[in-house]
This record gives sequence, C-alpha cells and structure tokens, in this order.
Amino acid sequence: MKPSIYENSRDVFLDTVNVKDYIQLEKISMIYQALRDSIEKPLKMVLLYGKPGTGKSMFLSKLHEDVASAQKAYLYKTPILDESEFFKTIAQDLYGIKYDSELNFTQFMKVVENRELIEAIVPIIMLDEAQLYTTAMMEKIRLLSDTRKVKFVIALHKTEKEDIIAKEHFQTRIWESIKLENASPVELKIYIQKKLMKVNCVDTASMFVPKSINLIHKLTDGNYRDTNKLVYTLFDIYHYYAQNNPKEIRGNEISKKIIEMAAIHTGLINA
Amino acid sequence: MLNVNELENKHKKYKLKSYTPYFAIFLGVSAAILSISFFLLYDFNSKKETKKELIAQKTQEYNGDRKADIAIENKNEAIEQEASKVIVPKEKEETPVTQEREEKVQLSPSLNFIKRIESEVPLYKKEDSVKAAAIIEKKVERPIEKSSEPIKKENKKEEVSLPIVEEVKESIALVQKPIVEEPATNTSTIDIKRRDVEEDIKHVIKRFNVNHNPALSLFVAKKYYQLENYEQAYNYALATNELNNNIEASWIIFSKSLVKLGKKEMAIETLKRYINHSDSSQARQLLDEILSGKFK
Ligand SMILES: Nc1ncnc2c1ncn2[C@@H]1O[C@H](COP(=O)(O)OP(=O)(O)OP(=O)(O)O)[C@@H](O)[C@H]1O
Ligand SMILES: [Mg+2]
Repeated sequence: MKPSIYENSRDVFLDTVNVKDYIQLEKISMIYQALRDSIEKPLKMVLLYGKPGTGKSMFLSKLHEDVASAQKAYLYKTPILDESEFFKTIAQDLYGIKYDSELNFTQFMKVVENRELIEAIVPIIMLDEAQLYTTAMMEKIRLLSDTRKVKFVIALHKTEKEDIIAKEHFQTRIWESIKLENASPVELKIYIQKKLMKVNCVDTASMFVPKSINLIHKLTDGNYRDTNKLVYTLFDIYHYYAQNNPKEIRGNEISKKIIEMAAIHTGLINA
Repeated sequence: MLNVNELENKHKKYKLKSYTPYFAIFLGVSAAILSISFFLLYDFNSKKETKKELIAQKTQEYNGDRKADIAIENKNEAIEQEASKVIVPKEKEETPVTQEREEKVQLSPSLNFIKRIESEVPLYKKEDSVKAAAIIEKKVERPIEKSSEPIKKENKKEEVSLPIVEEVKESIALVQKPIVEEPATNTSTIDIKRRDVEEDIKHVIKRFNVNHNPALSLFVAKKYYQLENYEQAYNYALATNELNNNIEASWIIFSKSLVKLGKKEMAIETLKRYINHSDSSQARQLLDEILSGKFK
C-alpha cells in the first residue's frame, strides 16, 4: 500500500541528524557564514553552544560536509573518552600514524609540534557533545589548539553545569563562540514548511497557517527537537483519523485540538 | 502504538481543567459581590441605629465572652440574623435604602475592596483553582474583620484581635507564596566544580531517555565500564548498537562487557560478525586479545 500523505509528512519529523535533511534558515545561515569565516581565520577554537535541540549536531554535520571536500576535517559525533584512545584516533586521522600501545598527551604533543603542515590549511577536528569531556581533557584540547597545527570546533550542549565549564575554559581563551537559539515563530514556520516541501507535501505544508504556528511555538518555545516530536505525533493522529474518522480532519488548517492532543502525548502539555 | 481514543479523553479532561480557573474566579467574584451587597445592607441597617447604640448592643451581647473565636462565630450568626432582618423590610419599603445611598462616604471603602479583589484575581489564574477559591473566600471574610473592630476596642481583650490578625497574615502568605517560591528553586548551583561521575551518568541517562542520542548511551556505557558495572555497560552498549549499529567503540564496549560478564563465546561471536561487516581493526585486535586470553 502506498503511504498516505500524512505518513509521508509525519516521517519528515523523525528526530534524526542527517545532513541531507538540513534546512537553510536565514539566521542559521548567517551564523553559518560567520563560522565558516572564522574557520578560515587563524583561530584556535570555535565554540558552538546552545540548549538541547537547538540544532548543534545538525549544524556541525552540515559544516563538516561542506568543509570536508576542501580540507582535512573530521567530525567526532561520539566523544572519545579514553584519553589515549582520543589521541590515537586523532593521530590516525590527521597523520595516518597507527599506535598499538598507549599514547599519552605529552607524547602526542611532541608528535603534533614536530609535524610540518603539508598544506597551508590547518586541519579541523569537530567535537560534538563536548560537554561530556572532562575538564582536564578540555584543557589538553586547548593546549593542542595552541600549537596552531590543528583547529577545533566544539559543540557544547549547555546546562547550568556546562555553563560553568564553558566559562572556565573558553570565555577568556576561545577565539570565537557562537550561540544557537530556538526558532522564532517566523523561523519555525519556514522550518516546518520547508521540511514538508522537501518531500513534496505541499498540501500539508499549506495547512500550517500563522495561528497553528503560533500555538506550536507557544508549546515548544521554538525548540527544533520538541517541534519535531510534536509535529510527528500530530501527523500520526491525522493518519489515524484519515483511516478511522475522517470527519475529524475536514478543515484545511491544522486542527487546534489535534495540536493539543499531540502536545499532551509528547508531554508538552500536562494533562 | 498511538492510542487516539485515550488521547481524546485526556484532551477532554484537559479542556475541562483549563476552564476551572475561570470557573473558580467566576465563583469567587460572585461570592465577593454577594458578600459586598450583604455588607452594604448590613451597614445601612447599622446606620439606622446610632453608632454608640450599636457598640453598646454588641458589647452587651458579647460581654461575657470567654474565647475570641467563639465571639467571632457568634458574630457571624448575629450578622446573618441582622441581615435577614434587613432583607425583609427592604423589599417592602424602598425609600429608606435610597435615602442612605446619599451618604457616599460610607460606601467608598467597600468599593476599594472590590477593586482590590479585581486586581488580585489575575494572580490566581495559574494557581490551583481550589487554592484560588480559598483565597478569595478569605478575602470575602474581611467585612466581618472590619466590622468586628469596634467590639475589639470596647472589650479591650487582646485575644480578640489575634485570630483576625492571623487570618489576614495567612491570606497574605497565600498571595505571596508563588512569588516567593520561584527564586528559591533557582539558587542552588554555582558550587559545582568537579563533576561527580555518578551524577554525571544520571544526568546523561536522563538526557538519553529524552533524545535517544546514541552518543549519550555510548557515554553511559563507557562510564559504567570504567566503574566496572559491566551489566549496565552491556545494557547501554546494546542500546547504542540498536540506535546505530555502526559505532565501533560501542561494539568494543559491548564485547568487552560480555567477556567481563563471563560470556566469552558470545563476545567472540559478536566481534566476528561485526568484523565481517565493518572490517574494524580495533575489533580484530580485541578479538585476538580475547582468543589469546590476553583480555579477560
Ligand atoms: N537546520 C536544520 N535543518 C533541519 N533540521 C534541523 C535543523 N536544526 C535542527 N534540526 C532538527 O532538530 C533536531 C534537533 O537538532 P540537534 O540534534 O542538532 O540538536 P542539538 O543542539 O545537537 O541537541 P543536543 O544538545 O541534545 O545534542 C534534529 O533531529 C534535526 O532534525
Ligand atoms: Mg547534539
């Protein structure tokens, strides 16, 4: 059976980080340009931070994809927590050196310092979920970037706790820090509609009138992850009604009731 | 998976619940209006007699009183009695009432009272409806507090004023509560410097449960492995593999945990299968170590 338009619309909002789903948003593309610019400058580190679900991982993946064709760039989506393993991985990626035994920081620093840059472009290492690295590890990463033989772009999910780490370790030293924020209602509308247009769901895209967007924004505060979950459930409910009770979804705007039902299901409304 | 019927019911309840504050406010306001008109009537009535007479009467009525709260209760009854007295003649002869109306000075404090209630009502909107209703009721009692003042003075009993003062305080406390509470919850950070591993894990697990990010479960698996809690390390590595079966580090932790849990054969089996589809040198190395007994 062919999947219905509601199923197609629903699956767009699965919460996954996949570069091909990246949506160019105006504000984001501005930051994105700033980030690209700063990568080209002789910087040490770039810090990308923001609350959970503001699109840091998505952003980093996009950046990685764009940059990797022109220069050495490596994205570590998962933090490598074992110190030796971390340095061994970098040594392997940057210089193609394979270490069978342990590799500690001092040893690795020597390797980096003695390394002549082959091309003028400094390789980039991107670390997602960097708040999971220990304070000591962060300090070593900073020292590595001080050699100017490798650049780090670091994505940090920010809680109050991480805020302190961010302050202690980056505020005075970081070359550039960029904050990602939740979407404004206008951006949220673009986000939802562009996502749907990408899979040719024009009909469902046009159902998101300003009123529906405002309600969704009120419920999710413009957080991309929460919005994904909400809209996913919303279309799940539409799909159900389409099969079982079509009169519930007769209007050509997104039903307020169904938005609220989806919000109850995803826990955005306490009922 | 998605139970739409149940969701519809929940939605109905939610809608009902979202109307209750308005309902409570409506109830409260109508109660307030009722009691104000009641208070006014009472006032007019008392104006008929001279103030001195009123006080004298009251002191007579309550002179022998032992306890203050009883006095107030009695007074409530007295007021009701007096009120019912008033209502009956009011319908018959309208003239005296309109005559009293001309004395506006007498009315002004009561109007302030209405204003106060109105300006306070929006505060309760978010509050539990029962609480809101309770506060409004408390306010409604105020006319009685005021009217009891002359008695207080006459009786010169300190105790009389106590319950009233307490009541006022209580209603103030209730009003202030939401304001006081918020800053209290926001204060307790800043002193965290080093991250305690256990707390770290708990925090990450909480986030993992929300966003199912394999990076987080892998982190948890690794941490548990370090803490030698191999069972949990196994669980979280398994969860990671289910979300993304291409993370080398996760397969390594998974296999290592299996060995530590005494399931060496299963670890070997797992690694072999993983090597087949990934060609991971790390996995191969671990397999060698397990087979040679170097890793156990
Ligand atoms: N520009 C974008 N284009 C398309 N989808 C996006 C974009 N930004 C965010 N998203 C969506 O929002 C979801 C959350 O984004 P992401 O996972 O990048 O957040 P995060 O900031 O990394 O959160 P966390 O701190 O929890 O890791 C993603 O699943 C993705 O689908
Ligand atoms: Mg992320």
